[in-house]
Amino acid sequence: MTKVIAPIGIFRKDPDMLSIQWNDGTTSDLKARYLRSSCPCAACVNEWTGEKMLDESRIPADIKPARMLAVGRYAMAIHWSDGHKTGIYSYEYLKKLDASGQSAARSELGSKAT
Amino acid sequence: MAVITEKQVLDALRVVQDPDLHRDIVDLEFVKNLRIEGGAVKFDVQLTTPACPVKEDLKAQAIQAVNAIPGVTSVDVTMTAQVPKSASGKKTELLKDVRHIIAVASGKGGVGKSTATANLAVALAQTGASVGVLDADIYGPSMSMMFQVKESPVLDDKQKLHPVVVNGIKIVSMAMFADDEKPVIWRGPMVSQMIQNFVHNVVWGELDYLLIDMPPGTGDVQLTLTQSAPLSGGVIVTTPQDVSVLDAKKGLKMFQKVSVPVLGIIENMSYFICDNCEKKHYIFRQGGGRRISTSLGVPFLGEVPLEPEVAVGGDAGLPIVEKNPASASAKAYRDIAGLIAQELSILSASQTGVLGDFDYTWDTLPKAKTA
Repeated sequence: MTKVIAPIGIFRKDPDMLSIQWNDGTTSDLKARYLRSSCPCAACVNEWTGEKMLDESRIPADIKPARMLAVGRYAMAIHWSDGHKTGIYSYEYLKKLDASGQSAARSELGSKAT
Repeated sequence: MAVITEKQVLDALRVVQDPDLHRDIVDLEFVKNLRIEGGAVKFDVQLTTPACPVKEDLKAQAIQAVNAIPGVTSVDVTMTAQVPKSASGKKTELLKDVRHIIAVASGKGGVGKSTATANLAVALAQTGASVGVLDADIYGPSMSMMFQVKESPVLDDKQKLHPVVVNGIKIVSMAMFADDEKPVIWRGPMVSQMIQNFVHNVVWGELDYLLIDMPPGTGDVQLTLTQSAPLSGGVIVTTPQDVSVLDAKKGLKMFQKVSVPVLGIIENMSYFICDNCEKKHYIFRQGGGRRISTSLGVPFLGEVPLEPEVAVGGDAGLPIVEKNPASASAKAYRDIAGLIAQELSILSASQTGVLGDFDYTWDTLPKAKTA
């Protein structure tokens, strides 16, 4: 049986970063704003074309994940401080986001090792 | 005469290994309630499932190991079981005492999924486990017939549903709410709502295993279930021929997509044994289930033969495992139930530490330790 990716810990990393520890030993640090703008829900991304429907300029600067809930055993639902709450982020997607957004997030923070 | 110490007994028991968890029973804290009275040693061995297929082996090994200690005159071992909690998902209030939720699915209809669910439930219950069955086959519920349920579940004053109990198995089925003769014609959102109700408003109480008979296919209901119930694992039922195997593959992919571990594949109607000879007639070709299990890397749980008695039992409300325990099908179901229980024990042991259950707000989220 192949091991599925799952979180072993979720943390708040000041001021606006979500840090997820995975069962494969890695850690993903994800900026709140980046996570919000990457919302995979049908209102933010066109289900058929994959075109991004979300206007990023409308995301408040101080956006925060207000609530994070486990969905089954494969994903996390995030309710945002701007009221948006239809996004279900699969763990696989979160890992992928991390791979593409990590460097940007790191350099902004002054690249502190985790 | 030398006094036998607790340590001596525990040290001796370290040679007894759980073949699945690959650790000795002392390390696993399976040895409970150790009493030494002179030369008489008594203790319990608490396994992770009452359906453990190697129960008798472990018992014999434990007795042998302790008997070898000088001064021991008698060894009395009681085998007990405590099914460990699954590490998966968030448990709602009413599901919190349900240790494992197992979805029984198939890619297409007609492969005997409901028959398999009913028989596995009986087989697990026969090992001493407490078992529930949720018939989520909204459009074609059949559990009521398989168990001859005549009554309806009771709605208490808190608007919670209490399952009907048949031979110790707790059952809730869509059939209990719908007219036998009328088809259920519902749109997606209504179905999802009903499923949510089944999951969140039924008082299951304490259960070792809750089996969910899924509707065939990979649609709305299946998705709702995987999202709202913390499934410990899924079992796929298929028949040997190619079309069915193809559909089973889809069911399997669905579980993988939502990270529900696939416990394995059951091949139903594998062969037919006729009245006059003992030969297995493979009327639908041979080995389809085994082929997908190899190609997709999931365990093959077993073959269930085609026996007219299975169908007769199903229609009469007596699953074959109960009706004719000596039959080939009953034996197959008992073996499969044992394997499922075993897989679940291994899984929960490997998932320690995984955050299955969470509901954080930004403020309750623990702070990361800064380097």
